[in-house]
Amino acid sequence: MSLKEIRGRIASVKNTQQITKAMKMVSAAKLRRAQDNIINLRPYAKGVLGLIADIAATHRVNHPLLHLKTNPQKILVVVITSDRGLCGSFNASVSKYVENYYKENKDKYEQLDFLYVGRKGFDYLKNRGFPKPVDVILNLAREISYTLAANVAERLMTAFTSGGYDEVRFVYNEFKSAISQNRETETLLPIDMSQSSLINQNEQKFSKDLIFEPSPEEIVEDLLHKHFAVQVYRIMCESVAGEHAARMTAMENATNNAVEMVNNLTLKYNKLRQAAITTELMEISSGAEALKG
Amino acid sequence: MLFTLVTPEKKIITEMEVDEILAPGSKGQLDILPGHSPLVTTLATGILKYKQKGQSKYNPISLSWGYLEVTPQGVSVLAETAETPEELEKERAEEALARAQIKLKEGLTVGDIMKYQRKKQRAQSRLELIKSYSKN
Repeated sequence: MSLKEIRGRIASVKNTQQITKAMKMVSAAKLRRAQDNIINLRPYAKGVLGLIADIAATHRVNHPLLHLKTNPQKILVVVITSDRGLCGSFNASVSKYVENYYKENKDKYEQLDFLYVGRKGFDYLKNRGFPKPVDVILNLAREISYTLAANVAERLMTAFTSGGYDEVRFVYNEFKSAISQNRETETLLPIDMSQSSLINQNEQKFSKDLIFEPSPEEIVEDLLHKHFAVQVYRIMCESVAGEHAARMTAMENATNNAVEMVNNLTLKYNKLRQAAITTELMEISSGAEALKG
Repeated sequence: MLFTLVTPEKKIITEMEVDEILAPGSKGQLDILPGHSPLVTTLATGILKYKQKGQSKYNPISLSWGYLEVTPQGVSVLAETAETPEELEKERAEEALARAQIKLKEGLTVGDIMKYQRKKQRAQSRLELIKSYSKN
């Protein structure tokens, strides 16, 4: 490599470094907002669960949405990834898992359908012999809102209650912390109330003469729908927060690598420059020697 | 009486001391004063008003669809959306109302009709709130 080429390389690596650094900062800001979404949702989610618990304390809650099937045959898997790349193994871990899951289970169930949230998962899986998706939802990171989640939830709910599916499962990246995200699978429908410890804790909180308007059954019906929507929203928030966190880490690494590369190139450049100077000096002095003689 | 109002996107009011709450219950207007018996009810889309402790002015909030729970400790409301008059924009509410009305005329499936009916109600309640607020 000539001196000029190395100079060019250094300049281009420095440019890349600036871009990755900027992307890291943008992701950090977005991550904060996404984390706020998760925190802001908690009181509401707790409120809905608490209400269900209060009703369950005085009435026997029995609802089709709560009936767990012993042998589910028709499964819908909701795959949540991001729309954009450059975020490390964030999308790959979900996509690979789903690919294996499909290979292992496609003969086990009567029906195994997929719904994609986010472009990356869909792009990866569509060319790998997967059935036609039920739906593809894009632009989650930009427009995440409860309204969107509620719409998705309502559609899934309709598909579930009309007998289309026995189970609705979610595969997504859970947001653990800024440096770690976990691939997680969760069955959201039917709703498994035994998992939420709230139900049993609150039993003694109320007198039995709680007034319901309308009837407890109608309220529970509504509440379970709400609970499901809240869960869908929560998962979407987690995935978006995880995406930004993963991108932040990936960009941090890229920036560090660029710094290292610039250092190596600079060293090489200086060595070459010195060698050139030495050769030049030698040429001059040997020329002078020759003239003397 | 402690009053809490939360939506999935944020906490609007946290344990505020209030003297009175007027809420749009799904079976008619509810007036809740301290000492109300325990109650769980669904709320319709409409305007909720509350009076902060020691004040005579009612503060309005536009709600859409939610739950209200009265416990001995206080009142908590879980709503899909909630806005104070300051947050609302007249033009946007008017647009939303117009859009919903057009969609409703087109005559869609039962699910869509319910959805747009809800949107229409929400826009109407927002407009009502904007009007009553600008008068004061």
